[in-house]
Amino acid sequence: MNQPTDVAPPAQAPRNRITGFGRNIYRSLFRYGRVPQDAEGQSYAVFNNLFLHIHPVKVSRHSLRFSYTLGLGVIATALFLVLTFTGVWLMFYYFPSASEAYNRMLDLRSAVDFGFVLRNVHKWGAELMVLVVILHMARVFFTGAYKPPREFNWLVGILLLLLTLGLSFTGYLLPWDQLAFWAITVGTSIAGYAPVLGPPMRKFLLGGDVVGQEALVRFYVLHVVILPGLLSIFLAVHFWRIRKDGGLSHPNDNDPPSKGGGQ
Amino acid sequence: MKKKNVRMQQPGMDRRTFLTALGLGGVGFSALIAAVGNLLYLKPAVDYGPPSVIRAGRPGEYKEGIKEVMEDQRVVIVRDKKGFAAISITCTHLGCTVRTSDAGFECPCHGSQYDNDGYVTGGPAPRPLDWYQVSIAPNGELEIDKSVKVPPGTFFKA
Repeated sequence: MNQPTDVAPPAQAPRNRITGFGRNIYRSLFRYGRVPQDAEGQSYAVFNNLFLHIHPVKVSRHSLRFSYTLGLGVIATALFLVLTFTGVWLMFYYFPSASEAYNRMLDLRSAVDFGFVLRNVHKWGAELMVLVVILHMARVFFTGAYKPPREFNWLVGILLLLLTLGLSFTGYLLPWDQLAFWAITVGTSIAGYAPVLGPPMRKFLLGGDVVGQEALVRFYVLHVVILPGLLSIFLAVHFWRIRKDGGLSHPNDNDPPSKGGGQ
Repeated sequence: MKKKNVRMQQPGMDRRTFLTALGLGGVGFSALIAAVGNLLYLKPAVDYGPPSVIRAGRPGEYKEGIKEVMEDQRVVIVRDKKGFAAISITCTHLGCTVRTSDAGFECPCHGSQYDNDGYVTGGPAPRPLDWYQVSIAPNGELEIDKSVKVPPGTFFKA
């Protein structure tokens, strides 16, 4: 390379003689060396990596203390990823037909190899995600992380909670068993009690007057496309705001770490 | 006469503001039309649900004082001295199926209770059970139209 560059060279040069194209690809992947040893290289490596830059290069001591966050946000995100992958896998066998859905669910449980694992991970992961999101919300509340400048992210978080509950509700109908049928019958009837918008909202959700084939398709599309899509978008906004609001909530950076929790 | 600066003296907005407003207004209007179109698309236009008119056999098959539950149709056929009636067994509270009881009907979900005519006697139900129109089909069978509601106490003389 002839041009002068301010980028640190790879910590160790590749052994075999790579030139031209291959060398460019290597350098594009490991711009700061495979494992940067110095602080500057490590900083560059962190904030030039999509996945690592979710954390700022400098982190408050409070943010690193596990008992401060209990890792609830990360757990919720991990659960969402698990649910996305297991959900897509379930889609290979399940389809939202009033005559077939229940049988497909039974087949997943008994006939398909590892089908019961995917189904159960999806089911229990979903229950857990609702719980963890609510606990995350409680943590944010108790550590005062909803206060300025983070009040906008609190609102995004409320939206994410509602989307999580929406996913939970729409997914509940898909096994198409008695429990699902009556739960959604009751649930959409409750929606119908809302003033003015209630009855049309119920009709929109069900695609008719009773829980039937139309309702199953509508809930399926909401569950596998619309709600996860919205949740992904707002999840990105949520993470971005964490960085823009200066990382996790913490007392003044110069303060010593608090003993015994609380602020 | 001196030439006046016409542009400065015009009342209201200048050209840039006007064109900006026009552009934004156009975008907003298009978005509104698109939103309405999408909502209309999602509005159920065709009813794929079960048919609302059902047949319930010949009147002679029902003895006086009987309450014949048609579980799949979610309706109960009642015959007494006054005639025939078709009462919905969908609870008016949250849509569960009510079951017959000694006093009339009761809902297993949240404990709503109704008398024999479907009037609420207890629990959270906000209104009486629906009564559907009963008539005789051309082939002599009882015909129930679940899309037509009649006041409670309306019996059909066969």
